[in-house]
Amino acid sequence: MVYRCKDCKFYLPVDVIKGLCKLEKNSILPDDVACDNFERQAKCKFCSHYLPEKEYLGKCSEAGLAYPDMNASKCASFEWYNKN
Amino acid sequence: MPDSHISPSEAVNYHGRKPIGNIEQRETKPQPSSRANAARELYFEAKSSVSMEFPYWYTRRWEELEGEIPMVRRGEALKAGFEHLSPVIYPGELLVMGKSAYYRGSFPMPWLSETFFLASEDSMYKEALESGKLTADTVTTIGKGGGNITKSSGNVISIAGKFGLRVEEMPILLEVAKKWKDRSVDDIGHKYEQLVPGYKEKEVIMRSVICMFDSGYTLPQGREVINYFYPLQYGIDGLIRICENGIAETAGHPDMDRIYFYKSCSSVLKGIRKWILNYAEEAEFLASVEKNDKQKQEYLEIADRLVWLSSNPPRTFHDALQLIWIFHLAVLNEDAISGLSPGRVGQVLFPYWKRDMKKGVINKEKTLELLECMRMKFTEIDCFASMGVVGGVLSGNTFNNLCLGGLTKDGSTAANELEMLILEAGIRCDTPQPTLSILFDEKLPQEFLMKGIECTKIGTGYPAWVNNQVGMEFILRNYGHESMNLEESRAWSIGGCLESSPGSWMPLELDGELHWIPGGSAPATSVGVHFLSLPKILEAVLFDGLDMRTGERIFPSHGCKLDSYDELWDTFKYYFRRAVQVLTLTNNIQHDAWRKIAPSVINSLLKPDCLKKGKDIGQMGSRYNSTFNIETTGTVNLVNSLASLNMNVFDQHLFSLDEYREAIKANFGFKTAQETGSYSLFDQIPTDENHKWKRIYKMSLEAPKFGNDIACVDDIMKDWENWFCKMGSEFRSLYDQPLYACQISVSTHGPMGAVTLATPDGRLSGTTFADGSMSAYPGTDKNGPYALFNSATCWNHSLSQNSQMNMKIHPSVVKGREGSRKFLDLIRGYLRKGGFHVQFNVVDSRMLKEAQAEPDKYRSLLVRVAGFTQYWVELGKQIQDEVIARTEYEEL
Repeated sequence: MVYRCKDCKFYLPVDVIKGLCKLEKNSILPDDVACDNFERQAKCKFCSHYLPEKEYLGKCSEAGLAYPDMNASKCASFEWYNKN
Repeated sequence: MPDSHISPSEAVNYHGRKPIGNIEQRETKPQPSSRANAARELYFEAKSSVSMEFPYWYTRRWEELEGEIPMVRRGEALKAGFEHLSPVIYPGELLVMGKSAYYRGSFPMPWLSETFFLASEDSMYKEALESGKLTADTVTTIGKGGGNITKSSGNVISIAGKFGLRVEEMPILLEVAKKWKDRSVDDIGHKYEQLVPGYKEKEVIMRSVICMFDSGYTLPQGREVINYFYPLQYGIDGLIRICENGIAETAGHPDMDRIYFYKSCSSVLKGIRKWILNYAEEAEFLASVEKNDKQKQEYLEIADRLVWLSSNPPRTFHDALQLIWIFHLAVLNEDAISGLSPGRVGQVLFPYWKRDMKKGVINKEKTLELLECMRMKFTEIDCFASMGVVGGVLSGNTFNNLCLGGLTKDGSTAANELEMLILEAGIRCDTPQPTLSILFDEKLPQEFLMKGIECTKIGTGYPAWVNNQVGMEFILRNYGHESMNLEESRAWSIGGCLESSPGSWMPLELDGELHWIPGGSAPATSVGVHFLSLPKILEAVLFDGLDMRTGERIFPSHGCKLDSYDELWDTFKYYFRRAVQVLTLTNNIQHDAWRKIAPSVINSLLKPDCLKKGKDIGQMGSRYNSTFNIETTGTVNLVNSLASLNMNVFDQHLFSLDEYREAIKANFGFKTAQETGSYSLFDQIPTDENHKWKRIYKMSLEAPKFGNDIACVDDIMKDWENWFCKMGSEFRSLYDQPLYACQISVSTHGPMGAVTLATPDGRLSGTTFADGSMSAYPGTDKNGPYALFNSATCWNHSLSQNSQMNMKIHPSVVKGREGSRKFLDLIRGYLRKGGFHVQFNVVDSRMLKEAQAEPDKYRSLLVRVAGFTQYWVELGKQIQDEVIARTEYEEL
């Protein structure tokens, strides 16, 4: 799987087009390929409760409708599907 | 107005000598702190962006609670939204937190309306699927759009021509929106408004754009002044305790409806507390990875401050500023809101600042830096709404008005040192928000007024100058029957652009000392019939009830010959009243749907006396509730048109009304604005048949115009105002209160002008109306500013919630100390005559022409529109053309 900057916990979104790296402070794009500092951001698509159904949509076994790119760091049910 | 032979190169109106030589720059000004400057640079780069976190969690929780009491369900849904918002903190910020996880972030609220994104569902979804690789360059081209994402490109979808949404969030937007179909305020309101007798007429009124929009589901709150007292005094934990006590006191008692309100407030406050703590956690995380010691320390201080404020009242001025920002945001996140004004913040926060200054905790430079940061936070605010609302009304602004001056509870001057610094921060960090207004009173010190002048003359467009005594008089008259008294009327302030809003004096206790601080004490003071296009109604009168743009019948045939001025005037009033009648009833239904489906919780708990009564603002929990109005656009074009018909048809019999009708249909022999792409009277192109209409066009232009101290036209203005300001009382709001007059155009004079044929005053088809309500039509004020003031004050402004006047002044006229004094004298001259409001663009119009041609060179250029300041590049062409065409005063 190719990780993108938008999936990284060091990605700071400025708008839908660009963001900043929290570590390096440089301007980056969300779809840039992640660098060596990459660490996964908690998102639905990385959660063991998430079941993909179609492009950009899926189900949460805890709650029904869900979408893969949502930040799940504040979700009480979040569990990494693969801790690595 | 120009002669018909004017050339495009002369397309600016001047009073006095036309400027020659190079474009005159505005006076130089001090720069903001490097911290605020960096934030502003980031703002210039940032695009308006929306995310789905809040609506997803709100909707998810709402569905989980199917069957629960609606008020409780609403509180829980809001709580879920706040708890799950991703915290984002940008480097260098001293004040933190935002509406959503983007710098200029906002989000859809499908529980209000899902119509405008579902209607285009197919095309949006197709765009989402077909989007290819991100092509940042094409989207980031600023062009004339500033931060607007006007087109979909790459992995970004454009919504409403302004907002960007990541392609990954498009399907969930549609899924969530579908869940609200037939359940949103818009849909439910629409279902029941059809029960109003004559409802079909309302639909045609909306299609013809005689009325601009329904307030019940577009912007149900706002145009009001927030009240920060409760969180400042009690802190969040204290407020939760008040709610829990309320629950205990009311459970099982006959008035136990209150329990649901307290329960809802308690839920939301807990959600806000978690939201703050999430930010604190993020600040700690950022500190943990930060290499720069100073920045690391600032992150730790942010974390400490947020942890404290998640439970407690503020300890310092900095704490207090952070806390009021949190609650400002919290209210903005509960509804689609424009014009949530912070009000008299300099007076609210003065006790904290004075104490910190005394203790040496803060100094003036640090204060300025914080106030500049506050300006940047307010400037970030976006409101997600349809294109018609964000473009046609708001011009991308959200009208957070900060007022200065006025009087204290006991009638002394309320201006203070902190307000001087707020003005200085507005000079250094010139951004659209918060816009500033000075509540001008004779008791205000000269030094304070001169500081205001210093700010106005550098071209920020703020402060606007507002008559304190006239405002108080309106407040006393409008809210007298709800126990408003003279003392309390002094707590008033401006909500939104220019909506006079009642306030209350709140007893803030700090270190055992009592301070009476002002705060808003009514819900939205500008909902109701919004906006009514006066020239379009006149068009319907002239054409027997038809919309001549579409051919559709708007009103029933009046069947009148219109062979006298009185008959014309009476018929105008008849159609106007019909429109108000049906729109009041349908609007009341929409607001009823709003208070049932998406009642205000956060704004309610802040407003006195909702917590005391245990009632939200939709149940009249607020102290004052006479808050629905009738808002109009195009006043001066109506008055000028009536004056023209009066002279040319009824008095001098130069033309018949039929000849006028033909001339209007032929657009006086010119191409329409839509054909030429120019929305001012200038740069218009004659058609081959122009010669047929030259005489009637000339006589229309030469008919007396408002703004020149000419009795026959000013009398028409006076008749209109005296009638309009009283007729609102014939109608009852949802809260069974009379309606009142509101007269600001915001940006509606652009789109409403665009759908209106030529008018009998010589204005051409599709061109923008005169702005505001007391601004002369561009180029028609020939007799100087004091003649304009005489015309504008021919009626009593305190009869209306407002009046609005814009003036454009060449920078050379107000240069230096002498120029400042002259400028202040001019303002005093108008306000002493009884004028309610005046605001200025201090700019060389040639600069605006250049900025229109080369927008990329003018990203930071600010202009005043009608009650708000906006970056030039973020304005639509209709408004740009109108601002350019405004008369530029070369002498005072």
